[in-house]
Amino acid sequence: MLTSQFLTYVAFFVLSAIALIGAFLAVTLRNLVRAALGLILSFMGVAGIYFVLEAEFVAIVQVIIYIGAISVLILFAIMLTRGLMTSAASTQNSQWIGAAFVGMLMFAVLFFVAITTNWPLAQPHTISDLIPRLGADLVTTYLLPFEAVSLLLLAALIGAIVIARE
Amino acid sequence: MPILVPDINLRIIAPALIVTVTAIVVLLGELVTPAERKRWLGYLSIAGLVVAAFAAFSLWGANASGFSGMVVADNFGLFLTLTIALSAALSILLSIPFIHAHEIDQGEYYVLLLASVAGMIVMATATDLIVIFLGLELLSLPLYILAAFQREDTRSLEAGIKYFLLGAFSSAFFLYGIALVFGATGTTNLAKIAASLAQSAGSPMLSIGVGLLMVGFAFKVALVPFHWWTPDVYDGAPTTVTAFMSVAVKAAAFGAFFRTFQFALPALALDWRAVAAVLAVLTMTLGNVAALLQSNVKRMLAYSSIAHAGYILIALVAMSANGLSSALFYLLAYTVTNLGAFGAVIALSDGARERLEIKDFAGAAREHPLVALALTICLLSLAGFPPFAGFVGKFLIFGAAVETGWAWLAVIGVLNSLVSVYFYLRPVVQMYMSEPAEGWSGIRVAPLVALALLIAVISVIALGVFPAPAIALAAGGLIR
Repeated sequence: MLTSQFLTYVAFFVLSAIALIGAFLAVTLRNLVRAALGLILSFMGVAGIYFVLEAEFVAIVQVIIYIGAISVLILFAIMLTRGLMTSAASTQNSQWIGAAFVGMLMFAVLFFVAITTNWPLAQPHTISDLIPRLGADLVTTYLLPFEAVSLLLLAALIGAIVIARE
Repeated sequence: MPILVPDINLRIIAPALIVTVTAIVVLLGELVTPAERKRWLGYLSIAGLVVAAFAAFSLWGANASGFSGMVVADNFGLFLTLTIALSAALSILLSIPFIHAHEIDQGEYYVLLLASVAGMIVMATATDLIVIFLGLELLSLPLYILAAFQREDTRSLEAGIKYFLLGAFSSAFFLYGIALVFGATGTTNLAKIAASLAQSAGSPMLSIGVGLLMVGFAFKVALVPFHWWTPDVYDGAPTTVTAFMSVAVKAAAFGAFFRTFQFALPALALDWRAVAAVLAVLTMTLGNVAALLQSNVKRMLAYSSIAHAGYILIALVAMSANGLSSALFYLLAYTVTNLGAFGAVIALSDGARERLEIKDFAGAAREHPLVALALTICLLSLAGFPPFAGFVGKFLIFGAAVETGWAWLAVIGVLNSLVSVYFYLRPVVQMYMSEPAEGWSGIRVAPLVALALLIAVISVIALGVFPAPAIALAAGGLIR
C-alpha cells in the first residue's frame, strides 16, 4: 500500500542517504575537486530533505546559494590555486583522533537534543502565501537586519579588495 | 494586501548611522586625496566619531526602542557606544603617524575601522539575537582585514588568517546557538525570549543553545579555554589595530553578552552563572600566569587582556544592577588604560622599527621620562593600583561579587591581581633601573601619539581620583 506518508518516508531515507554519501565522499576523497563534487551531492540531499519537510523557500535558497554560489566558489578557488588541482592531498593529520572525538561529542549532544525535544508542528501552508510574507517581513520587521547585511557585504567587499590588490 | 509601514526610528540608530556615513565619506574621499594628505582622512574619521558620540549623548535617558524591537537606545548601550567611540578616536590618533611610518597609510584603514565601530555600536544596542549576530560579523570582518593590513609582514598575514578562521568558527557556534534558542522559544527577540522562559520550563535544546551562545561570546571576548587565537593575533596585527581591538571588541561583545544572559536568560541563571564563574576563574588565572612568562610586550598585553576579560566576567556572574554598572565602568577604565599602554609602546618605537621586547625598554626613563611615566601609570592602573582607574574598576566589580554572595570569586580575583603586579612592573623596572640600550638617540614622539597618550593618562588619573561622575553615569546605564 503506497500511502503518501510511506512515500514521504522513502523520499526522506533516499535523500538522507544521498546527503550522507556525499558528505562521506567529501571528507574521504583525496582529490580536492572530487571532494568538492561530493560536497555538492551532500548539499543536494539536504535541499531535498528541506522539500520533504515543506520548507520550500529554504530548499530553493539551499540550491541557489550552496550549490549555485558556494560550490562554484570552492571549485574556482581549487582550480585557481596552483598545485591543488592535481595533487592528492592527505585527508588526515595527527589531530584526527581529537577531531573525531569532538565531532562525536557534538553529534551525541545534538542527537540527544533531537530525540528529547518536543518539536512543535508547523501549521500547514502553501508556498504561494509564504513567499509574500517573507518579502513583507524583510522590509518591515526585519528591515534593520536587512540593511545591516548590506553594510556587512560592503565591508566584506572593501576588505577583499584591500587584501587582494597588488 | 495592506500597505505595511516599517517601524523606522532613525534617531535611535543615529550613532551607528553617523559612523557608517563617515566611513562612506572617507571611502570616497580616499579617491580624491593625494598620497601626502592621507592623514586628513584620519582627522575626518575622528570628527565623525565625535559627532556620533554627541548623538549618543543627546539620546541619554531616551530609552527608546525601534525597528520592531530590534535595537534600543538605552543608557547601557549608549554608555558602551561612548566607550567604543572614545577607543576608536584614540586608536585613530595613534594610527595616523603609525600607518604612515609603516607605509600602509591607505584610506581603507580608516574605512574598515569605522565599519567595525558601526558593527560594535549595533551589537551593543541590539535587542535581537539576529541583530547581535550581524553586529558581531560587521565588527569582526573589518578586523580580520585590519589584522592583516601589513601585507609585507608574514606575521600580520598569519594573524589575519588565524583570526578569520577562528572567528568564522566561533560565529558558527553562535549561529547554531541562536537557531537552537529560536527553536526552543520561537523568537530571537531578547525580551520575548525572557517572557517565553518565564512561563515554560527549559528544555535540553534550550540549554545546548545557551551553551553555544556562551561559547560564541567566549571566543569573541577571549575567555579561557577559547582564547588560543588571542596572543598570536594580538602579536602579529599592527600595534594600533591590536590596541583598538583589545578594548573596543571587548566593550561591544561584553555589552551583548550581558544583555543576552542577564536580561533574556535570567530563568536559566542557576546554570549559566556556575559555568561563567568557572570560566572567570580559569580565564583570570591562566591569563595572568601566562602573562608572567612573556618576554614580548604585545604578547604580555594580550594575556593581560585575557585576564581582564575574566575580571569583567565576575560582574556578569554577580548578575545585579551593581554588577552591570561596575562592568560598564571597568570597560571604560580598561579602554583608556590599555590604549594608554599601547600608545606608550608605540611612542617608544623608532619609526617603523618597534621595540616590543621588554628588555628593549631598558633605560627608556632617561631618554623619554614622560612616556616612561605614562606607561608606568597605565601599567599600574592595569595592575589595579590606587589612585588609578583600574583600581576603582576592580574595587567595584569585586564589591558587586561580594554583595551577591560570590565572595570566593572576588578573593580569587584579588589574588590574581597580586600575581599580575609582577609582570606589569617588569617593563617599569627595565625602564627605570637598567642602563639605556642602544639606539635611543634621535627618537621623536609624534605629536598625535603624544596627544592620545595625554588624553589616556589624564582619563586614567581622572577616573581613579574622581570616579563619582563616571560611576553615576554607569549606574544610570541600566538596561531598561
